[in-house]
Amino acid sequence: MNALIRMLASPWPAHWGRARKSSATMLSATLLMVAVLWLGALPLSWMPDPIGNNAIFYIEGVRTTVMLTVMAGLAGVVLGLLGALGKTSSIWPFRLVAGLYVWVVRGTPLIIQILFVTFALPQIVPALRMTEFTSACVALAINIGAYNAEAIRAGLLAVPKGQLEAARSLGLSQGWTFLDIVFPQAFKIALPSLVNNVVGLLKDSSLAYSIGVVELTAVGNRIQSVTFLPVPTLTAAALIYLLLTTMMTLVSDAIERRFDVEGKLK
Amino acid sequence: MSAHAATPGQAPVQLITVQGVNKSFGNVQVLKDVNTHFNAGEVTVILGASGSGKSTLLRMLNRLETHDSGRIVVDGIEVNDDLAELDKLRAEVGMVFQQFNLFPHLSVLDNVTLAPRRVRKLSRAAAEQRGMELLDRVGLKAHAHKHPFQLSGGQQQRVAIARALAMEPRVILFDEPTSALDPEMVKEVLDVMKQLARSGMTMIVVTHEMGFAREVGDRVLFVDKGCIAQDAPPEQFFGAQTSERIRAFLGQIAH
Repeated sequence: MNALIRMLASPWPAHWGRARKSSATMLSATLLMVAVLWLGALPLSWMPDPIGNNAIFYIEGVRTTVMLTVMAGLAGVVLGLLGALGKTSSIWPFRLVAGLYVWVVRGTPLIIQILFVTFALPQIVPALRMTEFTSACVALAINIGAYNAEAIRAGLLAVPKGQLEAARSLGLSQGWTFLDIVFPQAFKIALPSLVNNVVGLLKDSSLAYSIGVVELTAVGNRIQSVTFLPVPTLTAAALIYLLLTTMMTLVSDAIERRFDVEGKLK
Repeated sequence: MSAHAATPGQAPVQLITVQGVNKSFGNVQVLKDVNTHFNAGEVTVILGASGSGKSTLLRMLNRLETHDSGRIVVDGIEVNDDLAELDKLRAEVGMVFQQFNLFPHLSVLDNVTLAPRRVRKLSRAAAEQRGMELLDRVGLKAHAHKHPFQLSGGQQQRVAIARALAMEPRVILFDEPTSALDPEMVKEVLDVMKQLARSGMTMIVVTHEMGFAREVGDRVLFVDKGCIAQDAPPEQFFGAQTSERIRAFLGQIAH
């Protein structure tokens, strides 16, 4: 399995540089993702029934799943960064708010959070009545944001104090010190955990099924119940998840390699 | 006495003034009513046993440590919590650390050019041209595009000196710059520092390198138990030492 991943991770000519290889991987994995999203119905439709005749539904489910993951994932990185900055802030109200956020979100089930954002929130604040898809996005973003906050906080704390002293003693402002020195080093440390969170998010997006979002799991289950063929229909859904998470891992490996100036990765 | 000592008849220019400075870490008072000053163009060597407060004194000059009371004025700028003033001050006060503290994610050249670009608003091209000159000066031009982890400790410390010089500071503080180095690398760093001293740079150096103090120091400060126990030219400090305490210290270092 490791050998397979290694072969998939660097199919590029040996003489290419680290940056070039990682760019190539990122580009091809992204293209592959787009291809799956827009042309995936074609290979699926060549499959025997009950997959082939339902290919179009599967692909719609995949698109919804990927959209949920991408939107919640991007918002989750922003929330995570804010949460991490809050938790490491020298101003106590920021620490308090960020601490409460992480505490509540990590301490309650995701499905409750999704149900709460969809049904309870509009009762409290009517202006926050959203479509099921948007509700799911918001709940997933809030959820992954809390986990990202902890990952990024760990990264921020792992940057040696001497780095800050060196930057500040050169006259760099607090802002430049953060952007040029602290964040790049913290991000590199946090990256494996962040990727872990996003892979988790892709799979957790299946919980949007509970509020009626027609994503991949919902599609799989619906076709399963209509065809009475649970083995092929659910296997197909699972394999598509596996394909998506594999592509995500490839991209993240490439990003990690790009940051690996010290050549620590084998 | 080094070549650049103030010309006779010309009053030395006071660059840094330290007045009645106290500092405690918890219950331990590490500096007690310290009064001194540092002149432009002079090389001051600060000696003392570990825990004497010498590094703390140095780190206060650019506020990596805060002082509890008293005043520190550097080049007319009061050292306090005014952040804008502090950034301005730090741009004029270079610092070289025991552990080098190079930025590991940046190339050697980027380490040297980052602050001039961000703080002095130099263009990348101008900063890189100047950066290459400085790397040449410390003998590391060929390593400009490497990353710090690819260099030896001595080379890293020379990059750190070039990085400090790139800001064209009024004074450079050295906090035990050779203490983390393997013995065979100490000389290459000291050579760069000696060359710097001869060029007229104002330097304040916390070190255990007695040879350096003797050869290029204009002045030796001996810090003991949080006080400046002696302030003397090196020939007097090393040659005609009257203090029993300091003679014992020098004896320990020599062996």
